[in-house]
Amino acid sequence: MTDKAHILSRAFEDRIFVGVAAAVALAAVVVALFPGLSGYRVNIAGQLACFALLALSLDLIWGYAGILSLGHGLFFAIGGYVIGMHLLEHAVATTGVTPDIVQFMGWKALPDWWGPLESFPVALVAALGVSFAVAFVFGWVSFRSRVGGVYFAIITQALVYVAMLLMFRNDTGFGGNNGMTGFQTIFGAPFQTPGVAKGLAATSLLVLFAALVACRLLMIGRFGRLLVATRDDETRLRSLGYETLRLKLGVWCLSAVLAAIAGLLYVPQVGIINPRVLSPELSLEIAVWCAIGGRGRLAGAVIGAVLVNAIKFSLSATMPELWPFVLAGLVILVALIFPNGLLDIGRWRPTWISRPDVLQPGDAKP
Amino acid sequence: MTRFIRKAAAIVLAIAFMAAPALALDRAAIVAQACGGPGSMTEAAAALTAGVATASKDDAAWAATLSGAAIERTLKCGSPPVIAAPAGARDAATLAPATSADGTSPLLSLKNRPLFETARAAATLFSGVTQGERGAALSALERRAGSLPPELFEKAADAETDVGLKERILGVGQAALLNSPDVSKRISAIERISVSADRRSLTQVAGLKTDPAYATDQAFKAAVDAGVASIERRLQISNALNTLYNGLSFASILFMASAGLAIIFGLMGVINLAQGEFIMIGAYVTYAVQEVLRAAAPDLLDWYLIVAIPIVFLATAGVGVFLEATLVRRLYTRPLMTLLATWAVSLLIVNLVRVGVGTQNLQFVTPSWMSGGHLLMGDFIVTWNRLFAIVFAAATLVLTWVVLKRTPLGLNIRAVTQNRAMAGCLGIATRRVDMMAFGLGSGLAGLAGLALCPIYNVNPQMGSNFIVDSFMVVVLGGVGTLAGTVIASLGVGQINVLIEPLYGAVAAKVIVLLMIIAFLQWRPDGLFAVKGRRK
Repeated sequence: MTDKAHILSRAFEDRIFVGVAAAVALAAVVVALFPGLSGYRVNIAGQLACFALLALSLDLIWGYAGILSLGHGLFFAIGGYVIGMHLLEHAVATTGVTPDIVQFMGWKALPDWWGPLESFPVALVAALGVSFAVAFVFGWVSFRSRVGGVYFAIITQALVYVAMLLMFRNDTGFGGNNGMTGFQTIFGAPFQTPGVAKGLAATSLLVLFAALVACRLLMIGRFGRLLVATRDDETRLRSLGYETLRLKLGVWCLSAVLAAIAGLLYVPQVGIINPRVLSPELSLEIAVWCAIGGRGRLAGAVIGAVLVNAIKFSLSATMPELWPFVLAGLVILVALIFPNGLLDIGRWRPTWISRPDVLQPGDAKP
Repeated sequence: MTRFIRKAAAIVLAIAFMAAPALALDRAAIVAQACGGPGSMTEAAAALTAGVATASKDDAAWAATLSGAAIERTLKCGSPPVIAAPAGARDAATLAPATSADGTSPLLSLKNRPLFETARAAATLFSGVTQGERGAALSALERRAGSLPPELFEKAADAETDVGLKERILGVGQAALLNSPDVSKRISAIERISVSADRRSLTQVAGLKTDPAYATDQAFKAAVDAGVASIERRLQISNALNTLYNGLSFASILFMASAGLAIIFGLMGVINLAQGEFIMIGAYVTYAVQEVLRAAAPDLLDWYLIVAIPIVFLATAGVGVFLEATLVRRLYTRPLMTLLATWAVSLLIVNLVRVGVGTQNLQFVTPSWMSGGHLLMGDFIVTWNRLFAIVFAAATLVLTWVVLKRTPLGLNIRAVTQNRAMAGCLGIATRRVDMMAFGLGSGLAGLAGLALCPIYNVNPQMGSNFIVDSFMVVVLGGVGTLAGTVIASLGVGQINVLIEPLYGAVAAKVIVLLMIIAFLQWRPDGLFAVKGRRK
């Protein structure tokens, strides 16, 4: 009892976290109940929530366990493709209209094995199950041979790159270059219904809130502390008798499932999924969100994702060619001056060279 | 159509051998035949073709003129028949100037046209004045060599004065021997052709399976079957060599791209995600050198690739040193952050080039010494541009090895790689070594870009096509040894090229990745990792 009370009190210790979580909850309420918001803004809020969830999932593995994945777009895409298949099946079942994908793939109808995905619970279980299974197999194989640090980062990058090449092929059977689009209805309601966009955005924000709170509780508990110990000195933890393989594999799979949920929520809001979400650039960008926001505190990931994507949205409307320069500048600035992202601003002292001998959370040792 | 020509050719042959004993050409009779109906025209063409081998040079020249006249319809069948020409008509049989130029031209049927063309070419082979004329005639005959009497080529080769052309005539003659009436000659011709195997001789020998002798003569059948088998085997070998060669050139590029990565990773535990962009910078600097040479010293333009080597190396090494001093140095204890920072740099470089130079592919001059190649066997051509990449990579390998093993800088690099703290204690300026090594690695990537110029497309995106493959090489090869990088690039390069034709480029990448992940189960630190305590 006291232990639980202790954890709950600690959960509210971090003021930035409390502020971010409260802001997310508030945003969910505003999006759901405030009628004056334009559809565009609601949609942006929903998309930002999905990106924040994606960044949160990466923060678990990078910020806490010190393992950088440059392939998290893979799990995001798994969620997105499964929900895409669900929405296509659903469109056929409710409207009877044959989707475009059937035509450009040269099929007669959607493949038979997509059939069960017409039910949302099945699709949900499939998305979570597939991302879990892929993460488990890849993680087990990698962590067992103690691949970590930079090796792990570039192998995950190769993984997502290969997945992108695969999905770009028409023969792979998921729409190739065009991906999936032309979704008509969700839970029986046409996408044009005013409430649908609001509902999706509010759901995304609520899921983000729930994930924030749940991850926070998990991370200040025993599991989280063991993860931090793994990050800071894995050898010592192993010699103390802890099996770090299980810890790393656990957080890796959890992170993958969260990323898949983000993809699941994202695709209905943008109405398309194609292999471009598998490009290594996107996966790198996720890491950039975390790095800019600050790692190892959950709130930082949300702040980073929202900030970077807000800049991206506003720039792509006015001067899209400027965006890569801004992004590159931000990353270099953060890398050089704020070693742990914007969360460092409070502690920042004007020395032009950051002190290289101080390890930051999430940094594998050289 | 081909069957039809073959039939016609058979008729020509049959008639040719009947007519063979005649030593001189019976000009008047042939002109009369040429002025007859389609049937007799066929005979005329046959007589011309058969006769030129034994005819005098004068007769051969006449035969060339007559068949040319028949083809161009300047033969006028009056009495006497004449050949019309702008300079004045000439008697068709004697070529003496003639007064009248009346009469109609006989119509050349579709069937007879190739026969007369053959006759003209055969006659020109004997009577042609210039070597070029005779060579062109031989080229025309080459395609129909199978339907010509073999003696024709033997005689022509005897008469030929130019050594190169003589060789060619003998080669074509062998193909003609395939149709000799003497079976033993045919068999020996098959055996000789099977040695110099390419795709065309395969069609020639395999075509003999439809020959009547194939069904009746056992020895002939065996020779044809053996010949086909031997040519196919040689073609397979040449195909395999082709694949190996392409793989080797791909591996050379990979090696140059990843050697720098591996050295830097071994030394500082840092992966430079901008390595692909250094390749791109190398290619763009090469382009700049080419353009400067074009403007300032056009005589040297042919050698721009050679001139560019030191410039490219120094330029990319300079960019690398600058990057190390301003960015990478400050992130040494944070290798994962270095990944992101160097990625940002690559984003910056790509977009700067895009805005500054444009997104289009750059146009490179192919130096005269680099175009074409040498036909080694069968279909296997050693193309000079790929050979350049291979030789260049080999030279780079040797030089890098010398730098690492025989120079003070190399000694320092190896010392810091093995134990940074101890090397520092012994007075090595480790930060300076890092900077030099980073420059060396970047310079190597720039040289990879130079070697790519004649083979691949050069545009701002080109770096990203190589970067994942070169990472895989580093992971597979391990760090600290050049040998690991060499073997890993050979492996990744060859596997890519081997699988590509079978299952496609994407499958090749998938299989390479899966193999590397599986491989890491067995050797987590790469092929040639230094043995020691697991970290």
